[in-house]
Amino acid sequence: MKYHPIPQPDEIEVRVREDAMGAYLMMFATAALGLPLPILNLVAAIVYYYVNRDKGKFVQFHMLQSLYSQIPVTLLNSGLVAWTIVNFVRDFNFTSIYWGYLIMTGVAGLVYLIFSIVGAVKARKGLFYYFIFFGKIAYHQVYRIRPEQTGSTPSNQPPGL
Amino acid sequence: MQQSILRDLGILLGIFGLIWLGASLFSFYPEDPQLLSIEREQKLGDAYVDLVLLNPMFQELENEKIDSSIQVIGDRLSGGLNQSEFDYRFIVFDSEMINAFTLPGGNILISTGLIGFSESPEELAAVIAHEMGHVEERHVVARLIKELGIEILTSGDPYVLGEVTGMLTSTRFDRKQEEEADLFACHLLEDSNIEPRTLATVFRRLEQETGNELLEHFEIISTHPNFRSRIRDVLSYLPEDDFTVEPFTMDWEEIKSGL
Repeated sequence: MKYHPIPQPDEIEVRVREDAMGAYLMMFATAALGLPLPILNLVAAIVYYYVNRDKGKFVQFHMLQSLYSQIPVTLLNSGLVAWTIVNFVRDFNFTSIYWGYLIMTGVAGLVYLIFSIVGAVKARKGLFYYFIFFGKIAYHQVYRIRPEQTGSTPSNQPPGL
Repeated sequence: MQQSILRDLGILLGIFGLIWLGASLFSFYPEDPQLLSIEREQKLGDAYVDLVLLNPMFQELENEKIDSSIQVIGDRLSGGLNQSEFDYRFIVFDSEMINAFTLPGGNILISTGLIGFSESPEELAAVIAHEMGHVEERHVVARLIKELGIEILTSGDPYVLGEVTGMLTSTRFDRKQEEEADLFACHLLEDSNIEPRTLATVFRRLEQETGNELLEHFEIISTHPNFRSRIRDVLSYLPEDDFTVEPFTMDWEEIKSGL
């Protein structure tokens, strides 16, 4: 698998850096809305991605990294809200597994917050910052050289017998 | 690349899975009834019983016929226990409220209202067996430790004792605890040669009384409106093939007439 070369900090314009930083800061803007309805955070991140997707690979990388890392946090938060409502509506049966999930979701949110702040600061400096797992996926998706980009024409191949 | 991504995913899932597991176990410890020994629980229970009976709402009934009937039912159920670390004490208190509750140390309080509500000694036995389930599973102590902490519970402070006593007369258990007590009651009733599904009959009759103010403090119905699932669970309990019913020989209507 071949990848495009990644730019160095001095090759990235300030405006591009700021757009990349905005991908992480989006979360703070929607935090108040996202508390009762966690899905709104994700919607805002997706909208931000589609609005800024033409601003170069550096911005795309940071936007995708922020978006992908937000998906599990959103799912965890949604699960917590649903579980809490079910507990309230049914019989106030807040089990130790529920409290464990709540703590785990809190830790995930905190880790996401810290990584997002660091990511925003690095992006503003024109640096790459790779989150575990999500950073590699975002890099792979943005910087991978696709067959159509190599100029070669697609060809049929027999199955590997 | 793909392996590296999968490894990262594994690390993430592992870390957060462990956090969930660890946090679940940690949050379970504060309500662990093992923090209080059975001997200590029984001593505390005796103190609580004395304090509860001082309350005019829970005045002990002095009626030999009723006492001896309750003792017969209690002895049958105690005999059905394979082994128990508790010395059970069944106390009847004079109240028109339909109520029974458990105090620590194997003390079970039964209202005259509940005796009057029960259409047979088997129905009353079913309720008592359910309460014994809370005793054996140590639900009361677990709840107190969870709500107050072991230090406060064992402080011995008379003021705290009074407050805890007030809480005990209106204890509510969660759904899981009620289901555990129901299952325990079914086993115990079977082992005591009483039809286990009598408990479902009691539940159905209690459900029909929904809205009755006399039921206001009865912990057994605390999972309302999920009563139907408990009725279903009890009805689906099947005794062993060699199970036989031994009816109580007492004249229940005559005993109730003495209330």
